[in-house]
Amino acid sequence: MKYLSKSITEIHNALLNNEVTPLELVKAAIELAKNDTSNAFEYICEKEALEKVNNLDPNLKDSLFYGVPVVIKDNFSTKDIPTCGSSNILNGYVPIFSSEVVLRLEKAGAIIIGKTTLDELAMGGRGTTGHKGITYNPWDKSHTHLIGGSSCGSAAAISAGIVPFAIGSDTGDSVRKPANNAGLVGLKPTWGRISRFGLFPFATSLDHVAYFTRNVVDSAIALNVLAGRDDKDASSSFKEVEDYTKGIDDSIKDKKIAVIKEIVNSVSDKDVIKAFNDSVEGLRKAGAIVEEVSMDIKLLKAIYPTYIIISCAEATSNNANLDGIKFGAREPGESFEEVMINTRTKGFSTLIKRRFVIGSYSLLRENADELFIRAQKCRRLIVNAFTEVLKEYDAIYCPAAPGVAPLISGSGESLSDEYLIADNYLAFANMSGMPSITLPIGFKGGLPFGANLTSKIFDESNLLNIAYNLEKVTGLKDLVAKEEK
Amino acid sequence: MKTITKEILREAATKLMFKLTEEELDQLVKEFDIIVKQMELIGEIPGVDEVEPMTFPFECAVNYLREDVATKPVDRDEILKNAKDVVDGQIRLPKVVG
Repeated sequence: MKYLSKSITEIHNALLNNEVTPLELVKAAIELAKNDTSNAFEYICEKEALEKVNNLDPNLKDSLFYGVPVVIKDNFSTKDIPTCGSSNILNGYVPIFSSEVVLRLEKAGAIIIGKTTLDELAMGGRGTTGHKGITYNPWDKSHTHLIGGSSCGSAAAISAGIVPFAIGSDTGDSVRKPANNAGLVGLKPTWGRISRFGLFPFATSLDHVAYFTRNVVDSAIALNVLAGRDDKDASSSFKEVEDYTKGIDDSIKDKKIAVIKEIVNSVSDKDVIKAFNDSVEGLRKAGAIVEEVSMDIKLLKAIYPTYIIISCAEATSNNANLDGIKFGAREPGESFEEVMINTRTKGFSTLIKRRFVIGSYSLLRENADELFIRAQKCRRLIVNAFTEVLKEYDAIYCPAAPGVAPLISGSGESLSDEYLIADNYLAFANMSGMPSITLPIGFKGGLPFGANLTSKIFDESNLLNIAYNLEKVTGLKDLVAKEEK
Repeated sequence: MKTITKEILREAATKLMFKLTEEELDQLVKEFDIIVKQMELIGEIPGVDEVEPMTFPFECAVNYLREDVATKPVDRDEILKNAKDVVDGQIRLPKVVG
């Protein structure tokens, strides 16, 4: 099935021209999902997808998502479809409602063919901590490199050519980092642009709905479907929704782009720097004014610890409802306290428990001033610094990560500039709510790597326009990891 | 800030309603060592304690009140479908009073 590797528009045209039917597309996607070797799936919705596609409303056929198979990260509620957040504590949980993004995709005619793996409850960046084990990177047949997380299964499913669109969530960089590792376009729109109703909350002030496509136009097409006010999510914005495809291919002549010198300098991989510098030259040739801007390195190094403290603290209260009593896996006990303790002890993995303790400890009255409150104050300084840059510029442009997908065997934890800045700075866009997009700019050893553009809040049209022109500069789009024959 | 000990972390875990193994506690102590060092970086930032804490990404006044329209709530039996032990429309737990 050649169509599943195509763009959403190409699939749509093939459907309109009767080259393929929605049923054939869905059956092929399900077959590929069943043969997936990346551990990308929590649940394959075979029965549900076939029922939906057989009852697809033909009046929707002008919708670009009509009959398009998609996957959803398993921390989004899907009515009557098991949803566990890749955590044992939610084994067997079947939501009685669907998240808003699922409803909007279905209303547009998309067919959900699977729920994808994640780092347990979206708390992790490596794609290794879900209860089904490591999710592998389809670009790396030796299974030695990460795909990254937490939206690991969604990234794997789209880069393996199973579907052309995948929903994820992004609290620190959980879509934009795997996009770097998988040669994908990963967009996290402005906080409030897409409803979070039905997304399992991790850190409420940082959580965003985000998603993967294989090119920038598809990203704009998806935003047209997903953006907009939803009364079920009090934090969703009333701001008018634009047609994000309109003007996407306009010239970027005289658009001003800032490159943060200290972020680029924290990357040691010369091949990444060369590809990045080449792309900067390409943007200049396209008419953009690209300038180097300096930022306080202490602030940049503070992004990661600030993120850890705030996200762990918020996660502690957001996950207090997981006790096995009202829903989820329940362990026996002599008292209700024992039921909860046994359920939570057995249901959460060691990483999650450690993160909850970090959060709880940061919130203790005697520690809060030096940990949680200080992190919130630092967040303001970080956001102010990036906002200041964007007063002068249309976008900030930097490498998305230190390089290609890291080794699964590496620990990833350190106090180096490369780890604290290059590997973790993307969380600034979660702290500020700014729209942020990662897209591929090069390959090394057969593995892709990317760069990131971030713009002012609710400035998605401008961001997508610059991203589209960057994609033209690199020529890297519609990438799919092929199976070795 | 309190000095981080295994005992303090065990107490924090108890409040969170789960148990940690000795191995998990050892790992956590090491992890805290890094976090404290990272947080010291924050403490060095000039003016960090002179700004207001930021709780959300940007100021967004929410003056929205929905219309008071009666709607059908979710059916009780639907909600209880996910509970493991239900009797007569209620979730059964171990006896509290002997």
